[in-house]
Amino acid sequence: MIVPLDHCDHCGTCISVCPVDALMLTENSLIVDHELCTECLLCVNICPVAALESKK
Amino acid sequence: MKTTWDIIIIGGGPGGLFAALEAAKAGKSVLLCERKREMGIPVRCGEAVGKEDFANYLPMEPRWIGSEINTFIIVPPNGKEIKLKKDLYSGYVINRDLFEYDIAARAAEAGVQIKMKANVQELIHSDDGSVSGVRVMESGKMHEYYAKIVIAADGVESRISRQMGIQTVLKPENIEPCVQVTASGIHLPEKALYLYIGTCYAPGGYAWVFPKANNCANIGLGINGKYSSNTNCAKDYMDRFLDRFFPDASIQRYVTGGVPVTTNLKRLTQDNFMIVGDAGHMVNPLNGGGITHAIYSGIIAGKAAAASCDDPQKMKICFSKYEKEIYRKFGKNHEHQSKIKEVVYQMNDDDYNRIGGEFLKLDDSKRNFLNLFKQVVKHKPEFLINVVRAFSGI
Repeated sequence: MIVPLDHCDHCGTCISVCPVDALMLTENSLIVDHELCTECLLCVNICPVAALESKK
Repeated sequence: MKTTWDIIIIGGGPGGLFAALEAAKAGKSVLLCERKREMGIPVRCGEAVGKEDFANYLPMEPRWIGSEINTFIIVPPNGKEIKLKKDLYSGYVINRDLFEYDIAARAAEAGVQIKMKANVQELIHSDDGSVSGVRVMESGKMHEYYAKIVIAADGVESRISRQMGIQTVLKPENIEPCVQVTASGIHLPEKALYLYIGTCYAPGGYAWVFPKANNCANIGLGINGKYSSNTNCAKDYMDRFLDRFFPDASIQRYVTGGVPVTTNLKRLTQDNFMIVGDAGHMVNPLNGGGITHAIYSGIIAGKAAAASCDDPQKMKICFSKYEKEIYRKFGKNHEHQSKIKEVVYQMNDDDYNRIGGEFLKLDDSKRNFLNLFKQVVKHKPEFLINVVRAFSGI
């Protein structure tokens, strides 16, 4: 399961690489749609500040 | 409550603001929705613009100017600065927050209705697949707003265009994750744009130091997405960069973001839907600059939308013209830049150091772009081949 961490800056870099449109920004948070997410880890690796984590 | 406008614009960056301003000046009713709480903030941008380039679109206001720049300084991995001849370049580092705030005020003055904290979640479609409006989350309540044309100016993180079937997903190698700080106490010998190029600083990208007023500077760094991982991300490179060059920097602003470094989207319209700025990947893939691209595409899109929102036949013609104009103005050039970028970033740190060393042997007066280019070609003849290829379209 992909989880945004507290130090996420809500910049949206992850959204631009998500192939299944499973990420969304609200005013102050990043939301992951776990139904859509395939855990490809593209977002985890592209994040400029490593603020996404893959949790078992 | 008003629920219908001629044109709805998603996003209040330069692209969205100029589209709104132009459409309102042409007498159309315009709604602009911005997700964030304050216009112009956060400033996810190095803020450098060319003087002439900017002046093509509007006169510069004194309060937007952070500093005036008249040259470049390139710093290869060995740290030996390569100063290009003075007055080779003239530009500004702007205060983008003030700039956007003022343009928003002008847009409002022209009649644009602006909503902040208005997060467009999805498009509302008509039976024929075209767009009839947007669903917007505002302070916990969902609202539906309708328009004849919707313009997506929602940045590199644009999701909205995907709902019109336009492919906007970027491969990791086509985006640069970036980190930037605005720091004070940065005493630079020259009012220059400093570019640090080398894999030791930023693989597949570069680090920049752009001076602003009062010894402040935007210090940032972007790496190519293919080199980014959660154990060695842009911020890790940035921390090492600051440690090496500005260990005592006092930081007053910290931002992150992604810059698309690829060719522009070919499709920028679909039915009654348009894309402007970063959302359409209209960023120079070599240097990452995109402010004026967003302004220009916003102006042209706003005009096209205003001219055709009441006439579907005319809309087709105007939208097709918009796509062609953006390709003429940036698209072709960005295809070239993209190829040059590939060659530049194929070089290793020894190459950069050697080219820099040769260039520094030249007399001051000869340190211009042409001679830098000649040094690059001398060391990497394939560079020339690729440049020729890039410009001849082979």
